[in-house]
Formats: sequence, C-alpha cells, structure tokens
Amino acid sequence: MTSTNYDPRVLKALHPVPGAPDNWKRFFTFNTDAKVIGIQYIALALFFLLVGGLLAMVMRGELITPPADLVDPTVYNGLYTMHGTVMLFLFLFPILNGFNNLLIPTMIGAPDMAFPKVNAAAFWIVPVFGVVLLASFFVPGGPASAGWWSYPPVSIQNPLGHFINGEFLWILAVALSGVSSIMGAVNFVTTIIRMRAPGMGFFRMPVFVWTAWAAQTLQLIGLPALTGGAIMLLFDLSFGTSFFRPEGGGDPVLYQHFFWFYSHPAVYVMVLPVFGIFSELITVYSRKPLFGYKFVALASFVITFLGLIVWVHHMFYSGTPQWMRNIFIVTTMLIAVPTGVKVFAWLGTLWGGKIRLTTPMLFVLGGLVNFILGGITGIMLGTAPVDIHVGNTYFVVAHFHYVIFNTIGFGIFAGIYHWFPKFTGRMYYEGLGKVHFLLTFIGATLNWLPLHWAGLYGMPRRVASYDPEFAIWNVVASIGAFMVGVAAIPFILNIVSSWARGAKAPPNPWNAIGLEWLLPSPPPAENFEDDVPTVISAPYGYGLGQPLVEDEEYYVRRALEA
Amino acid sequence: MTSTTPRPSGGLPVRLLLIVLAATLLDALASLQIARASLGWLPVPASTAAPYVDQLFQLEVGIGAFIFLGCSGFVLWAVLFNRAEKYDESDGLPIEGNTKLEITWTLIPFVIVMVLAYQAIHVSETLSALGPKAKYDLEGGSNPVSVEQLDPIRNYGPIQVISRQWNWEFIYPNGVRSSELHLPIDQRANFQLSSEDVIHGFYVPAFRLKQDIIPGSVISYSITPTREGRYRLRDSQFSGAYFSQNQTDVVVQSQEAFAAWLEQAARNPLVPGLSPATQLYQDRLSKGDKGWATVKPAPPPLVNDPGIPDAPHEA
Amino acid sequence: MTTTNPDLQLNHRPGHIKHDGHNLTGFIIFLCSESIIFLAFFSGFALLKITAPEWLPEGVEGLETRLPLINTVVLVSSSFVAYFAERYLHKENLWGFRALWLLTMAMGTYFVYGQYVEWSELPFSLSSGVFGGTFYLLTGFHGLHVITGILLMSLMLYRSFLPNNYAKGEMGVTAVSLFWHFVDVIWIILYILIYVWQRTT
Repeated sequence: MTSTNYDPRVLKALHPVPGAPDNWKRFFTFNTDAKVIGIQYIALALFFLLVGGLLAMVMRGELITPPADLVDPTVYNGLYTMHGTVMLFLFLFPILNGFNNLLIPTMIGAPDMAFPKVNAAAFWIVPVFGVVLLASFFVPGGPASAGWWSYPPVSIQNPLGHFINGEFLWILAVALSGVSSIMGAVNFVTTIIRMRAPGMGFFRMPVFVWTAWAAQTLQLIGLPALTGGAIMLLFDLSFGTSFFRPEGGGDPVLYQHFFWFYSHPAVYVMVLPVFGIFSELITVYSRKPLFGYKFVALASFVITFLGLIVWVHHMFYSGTPQWMRNIFIVTTMLIAVPTGVKVFAWLGTLWGGKIRLTTPMLFVLGGLVNFILGGITGIMLGTAPVDIHVGNTYFVVAHFHYVIFNTIGFGIFAGIYHWFPKFTGRMYYEGLGKVHFLLTFIGATLNWLPLHWAGLYGMPRRVASYDPEFAIWNVVASIGAFMVGVAAIPFILNIVSSWARGAKAPPNPWNAIGLEWLLPSPPPAENFEDDVPTVISAPYGYGLGQPLVEDEEYYVRRALEA
Repeated sequence: MTSTTPRPSGGLPVRLLLIVLAATLLDALASLQIARASLGWLPVPASTAAPYVDQLFQLEVGIGAFIFLGCSGFVLWAVLFNRAEKYDESDGLPIEGNTKLEITWTLIPFVIVMVLAYQAIHVSETLSALGPKAKYDLEGGSNPVSVEQLDPIRNYGPIQVISRQWNWEFIYPNGVRSSELHLPIDQRANFQLSSEDVIHGFYVPAFRLKQDIIPGSVISYSITPTREGRYRLRDSQFSGAYFSQNQTDVVVQSQEAFAAWLEQAARNPLVPGLSPATQLYQDRLSKGDKGWATVKPAPPPLVNDPGIPDAPHEA
Repeated sequence: MTTTNPDLQLNHRPGHIKHDGHNLTGFIIFLCSESIIFLAFFSGFALLKITAPEWLPEGVEGLETRLPLINTVVLVSSSFVAYFAERYLHKENLWGFRALWLLTMAMGTYFVYGQYVEWSELPFSLSSGVFGGTFYLLTGFHGLHVITGILLMSLMLYRSFLPNNYAKGEMGVTAVSLFWHFVDVIWIILYILIYVWQRTT
C-alpha cells in the first residue's frame, strides 16, 4: 500500500489516519477516540501553560524590584490568582488527563475508555471553562484576585457589587472543571477495573496505571468536598447567605477545611501519575526491572489514603487547637514513608543499570532530584512550629514550585518526549530536547532555590511589593524565571517541527516492554481491536528474558507491518 | 517477588562497603556543616519561641541535607558509572527487588519522621502561644474581649490587636493606642487578636510566630520577647489590594523604657495612625482609578503614637 | 488486518475485552463520589450549628416537624415500592413493573410538593443567617436530586414501552432505583440533622 492511496471512506473517518491530509482538522471535532482526546487535552493544556507562563513573567517582572511599580497591586493580585488557577485547572489537570487518555487504554490493552462519549464531553468542558476564566479579565473590576485558595471573606467582598464579577466567573470555572474531572475520574477508574487485557491481574499492571487509579480515586473522594465548598461560596457571594460570613454567624475557617480537604490531595492527584511516569521511564532507560514493583504499586494507594487525612497542616496557624495540630503533624509525617519507598525504589532501579541519558531520562532524573528537595521541605512544613514561622512565606512558594513545576512539570515533559513517537508516529529531535532540559533545569533552579531563603527570612507570599532586604533573592529568581520562559522556545520548535517532518517512528523505538509498545506508532483507532494480547508476566521484565504476552513475536510483527 | 541479593559484578564487596562508608561519612560531615550554617538563614531570634523553632529547623535541615545529598549523590554516581556505552542495547542486572532492603527503607524513614513528629509536638506544646479562640456575635454587640480567655500566666496584657484593610491598631490595658506594637522585654505579653473585615495574619519573623486573625472570633495569643530592637510585623494572610503594605514594626524595649513610653504616649493627643494604603489609594484615585477593583482602605485609626514609619528594622 | 507470515498466526488465540456492562460500575462509582458532597454539607452544617453563638434567627422558634415527618414516611416507603417494581421487571412482568414504578414516581412527586408547601410557609429565608442558609441549601440540594430521580424514572418508564429494550438486561432501571435508594438514605440523615436535632447547647 502506498502512502497516498487512501480509501475515500478512510479520509472521512473521525480519527486521524497516519499520513493522511487534513489530519489536524479531526482534532477539532467531538471525537470519541481516547488517543485523539488525549492529544486534544495535551495540546490545549500546553497552550494554557503558555498563558499561565506569560502571567508568571509579568509577575516576576513586577517582583524584580521591591516597590509595586510595574503594575498596580490590584493587577498583581489578579495576575497571581489567575496564574495559579490557570496552571492548576487548565494546565496540570488537563495535561495529566491527556496522559491518562493516551496511556491507560493502550497500557491495559483496552480498545478505548469505558464511556467514550462521556470522555469527549469531559474534554470539551475544558475549553469552555477556559474561556469563562479568561473572560473574567474583561469584566468590570477585573478577574478574581483572592488567590487560588479564594479564602472568604476577602474573596466575597465584591467591591463593585456587580452580579457578574471576576470571582463569580472564577467559581463557575472551578465548578465546571470539577464536573469535567469527575466525569474523567469515573471513566478512568471504570476502565482500569473492567477493561484490562486477559491475564493482566492488578499486579501485572504498569505502575502508571496504578498511580492513575490511585490519583483518580482521590479525585472522586476529594473533589466533591471542594464542590460543596464552592457552592456555598457562590451563595455567599451572589445570593446573600452567610455560610462563611462572620456577620451572619458563618465561619470563614469552615471554607478552609472544605478547600484543603480537596486541594491538598489535589497535589497527589497531580504528582502520583508523575510517579508513574518516573517508574515507567527509569526502568526503560536503565534497562532494569522496577525495584520492588509491588511495594511501589501499593505505595500509591497508601498515599491516596494518607493524602485524605493531612489537610489541616495547611491551617496550623488558622486558630487550629493544639490536639488537632498534633494529629495532623503525625499523619503528615507518615506520608513521607510511602513516598520514600518510591524514591528508594527508583534509586534501586538505577543501581547497576545501563543508563541512557536521553531527553526524557534527563527530565526524570532532574525531576527526581528536585522532588527529593521538594519532599524534604514538605516534611519541614509538616512540623507545626517550623510551619508557623515559614507558612505563608516564600518558603512555601519555593517548596510547592519544586513539587509542582520542578517535579510534576519535569515528569510531564519527560512523558511527552518519551511517548511522542508512540502517539504521533514521529521521532523528536534529541538535540533540541537537551537544550530544553538544560534551560529548564538551570532556570528553574535559579528561580526557586533562592526563594527558600527569602521565605526563611520572612518574606510573605502573594505580595506585590516587599522590603528591600529581600531584593537579592528576587532578582535571581526573576532571571531564572525568564530562563524558564525562554526554554519554551526549543520545546515548541521541537514538538511542532518533529510532528510535521520528523523521522518516522518505529513501533518500539526505546526497545521498551509494555502493551503500548506492541502497537503500531501511532496506534490504530481501536488499539488491539479484537485481538488483544494475553499478558503472561509482570511488567518491566528487562533482562529477565520472559515475554510479556502470549505470542509476543506475532504482535511485534503485526505492529511492524501495520 | 523473587528476592535476589544484589552482587556487584566486579570487585570485592569489601571495596564497595568501604566506598559506601566513606560516602556516608562525607555526607554526614557535609550535612553537619549545612545544619550549622542553617541558623544564619533565619532572622535574629527575638522571642522565647525562636530558639525552639530554630533548633527544630536545624535538626530538620541536618536530616534533610543528609537525605538529599545522599540520594542526589547516588543518582550522580549511577549516572557516571552505570551509563550504557554507545550502541550498547543490552539490559542491566535483572534485580526485581529485595524484600529485606525494602522493609528497611520503609522502617528507617518511619522512625525518622516519628522522631520529627515527636519533636514537633513537643516544641509546639512548649510554646503554647495559642490560647483559646472564641466566636462572638458581630451583630449582637457582645464584647469581643471576654475575661476567661485571657492567658493566666501572662505578665502583661491583654493588648488588643485590631487588624483592618490595611492598617494595624494596638490598644494597651491603660487605653493607649498605637500604630507600632511596643512590648516590654522578657514579659509574656497576651494579645486579643481581632479583625474588622477579612482574615489577616499576625506575623513577626523575628519572633518565629504567626497567627491568622479570623473575623468574628477573638483569639488569645501570647508572646515573650527576649531581645530589644525593632522588628517587622507583617500581615501574612492575603487580605486584598494593599496586602503587601499592611506591615508595621514591633518595638521591644527594656521594661523601664516601655513604662516611660506608655506614660508619655498616654499624654499625647490622638492623631491618625500609620496606614500606607490610604496614601497609595489616594495616589491611585488621582491617577484616574486605574487598575482592577478594590474595596476602599479603612480610615487610619486615631492613635496616641503613630510610630516612625521609616525607622530601620532589624528583621 | 492481515499478516504475511502464517507461521506466527498458527496456534494464536486472540484475547478479547468486554465492551459492555461497565455502566453500572461507573454509576456506582459516581454515586459514591456524589455522596461526598452531601457529607461535606452535613459536616459543615454540624460544625456551624455547634459553634454558632446564635443559631436561630430572631423570631424563629424552631422547625415544624409534622408535615416533614409525613413527607419522610412517603419518601422512605417509595424506596420499597421501587424495589418491588424492580422485582416485577426481573420476573418480566412489565405491567406490574410499570404500575409500581409509576407509584414510586407519584410518591416522589408528593414529596417534592410537600417540600414546596413547607418552604412557602417558613418565616425565614435563604439569607436569614447560617440557619436559613444551611436549611435551604440542604433541603434544596436534596430536592434537586429527588426531581432528577423522578425525571430519570420517567425516562425508564418510557423505555419500558420500546420493544426489546430489556433484551440486554435492565441496567438503567437498576441504576435509577439505586439512585432512588441513595436519595432516600440521604434524606433520612438530613431529617435527623435538621428536624430531630433541633436543640442547641
């Protein structure tokens, strides 16, 4: 079959056809193919990464000097609020759902998600609330500007008194995001429970699937609490109730419980799949089985469980009584144990391996080292006396950016490079990838490492201006931030040009073990269709010489010939 | 899970053990140095809480540095010595795990974090800065300061701390009002923290103490300053447009100087207190009210001592 | 798809993955998640009630319990009716199913009507402090679920008239009746919290 000779019916197909003209148009349709939806999620999320990143550039421009001189303080407050909201709800959650869409069905051998239409609907809610959120820049009074925590009473002050205001749109956007996430979570969990390939018991699932499952379980349990809190906040803002208004007998701290009951676990929702990506990539690029696979897999659910009972550590200084602080100090400390199990397992996997420092592996190792630092500062923040000093300062900002960008962001970049050939059918450019890594790593380190000291010295977070003694750390941080901004250029260049004219990717360019690598690159619409491999061994059998599935050679040949 | 004991392919285990021992020693020495240096990363300690917090911080920095350097060193070592040669497509050692090792590295972190938790709880209870919190009816007009929630072991107070968007007001037991917080050294001072609008944070970095102020509640809070000087008091919980300007100073004085100040202040007439936001808001209005919406700043409180806004602070 | 090497296909047994039957799993997962919203509201209600300096707004003595009790009895019994409707469906007695199903819907509708009557006679509003806010929020949010349940039931009733609709099992009916039991259990907790636990310390 020559590459130009397509059946006209194929060209009308909803899903992209490798090499066919006008493929890009299919990404703008209500497509129910999980792989198309996955790419839709990732592309849209990367667009919002740019938006959130630009907001951050303005913020770091403002913070390069002590006084609030670049933008008005009210504008700064709106910018930092939107930066956080865009990055979390429009970049991180969607992009990880993109990975879930691409990887869960292909890794477990399912043809698609359990509910493809729900899946597509969940995706299309994202651009809708993205527009709602961005529209809030243009309503009178400006966007929400009480931070992504949106703590009342400051968030419900509504200075202009309009019914449609920035905060109103913000709550609406967050609620829509919640609906989309729950639709996604029901879908992912059902798919994992019910649609695994024959022979794939739970302890033969790749760790990414385990972590996605653990993360989505957290969504299902945590997100409704935030939804409840958001509904009450909306009523307080717009309909005259006083759940959180002290004037009517309400309690502002109650909102904080609702908020953190979800928003602390939300960090695990984001970091768990990245732990999964780390586990997948470290094994491939060290050519070794995952050290203590079962421990690593189960640790995901231990994190899920503990993640649900640590939220009050965000409220140590909110008037929380001592007995409650003590309980949450202990639970917060405990979460270091399953996390440590994972970190040590990765180190054990590296040991004696045949390490290949490709771009994805560089991002994984960089992310891993950053995560160890971010984890340690996390433990420090879990001990109440230290938290009471550094809480709500730049130490916290530095800590969570080490987790959210320097770990999760790095893991996401690693994942994009690693699975790029699989889902686009093209190889990326290694040189550009390495430039991207170097710029990002150096920039991110310059950006967030010095801010720890600013915080230790007492610089509060969320300030538009600050005392001159904090200037030195902020200058370095701003330079680092601009470097991270510049790093987007090689990344975009790489993705766009390699997708357009990169070398054709073989089915298994990394010589990796996993069901997704038994599929052609890119996989056909229904993955294995009605000929799903039967799994006969645990994942990551590098060097063990056992086939992963029955008749492995047949599937390898089939993928090559597709 | 098959339990394969990792055996190095080349060299004796003795050599490996020596390397590990040397690396651990080096790691320990380096972390000790970092822990020593870490006290310099904090502002001057100026309250009884500071030494406790600083020691706990130092302990955590030491342990954290040991783990961080150990793990990162290991990654570096693996990257340097376990690299695949170019065109080497073979696999590494097929080690699937080691149950004993995994149990060890589950238990050791467990012990470490429990020790830290114990220390943290111990320090937290020793400080006992936070007293009871009482809700009061804002509309019912009940008195926010009720006697039973005063700190029984206080030496001085209660000082009423009133936070607003965006200024601070301090009212002393003799009725003196000020914009800067004056405190006598070595006296456990009790505060009644209240807010008139949104949540604010009462944060003095030199004291290592921070407490959110919840509107609708009065929180009893106690601090013993231990070092004379002028320190920053910052609003630490985001409170709207001019949040970053909502800061003032704490002046810790000898007991005689404090008494003299209090006496002097009582004779001063009431003048508008420190409120940088008021001026900034005026500037904004004069420039055509550009920017995004904000509530109007509360008018500056009338105080006996408006303080010295530009005086240099130590931390 | 064809392979050119027949040797490889020899003895090959293609595996399969079931394509249907996930709906109930998905629905149960969704219900578990949904219950957390109510849990959040309930715990918020309890916390606000325990800590409020003044719970009842001025001029309000408490809530009338007689009408809500009748409502409760009707709603709870409707769950049993729905159960028997489902039994009829299992026995393929379509008319028995339709009759009892319609009765369930009628009882649900009566409940919503009862709620409407109660709401319209109350001396306080949504903005009457935390008491008013939580009352209307909890009962209103639950009421929305009851209405959703009735709408879903009418959909199932309509589907029972489509030929061969239950050939592949009656997943939809099972799911809706599960939802109805869920709404009932929520109401029982809500009734205890709001109407039975009236005294404040």
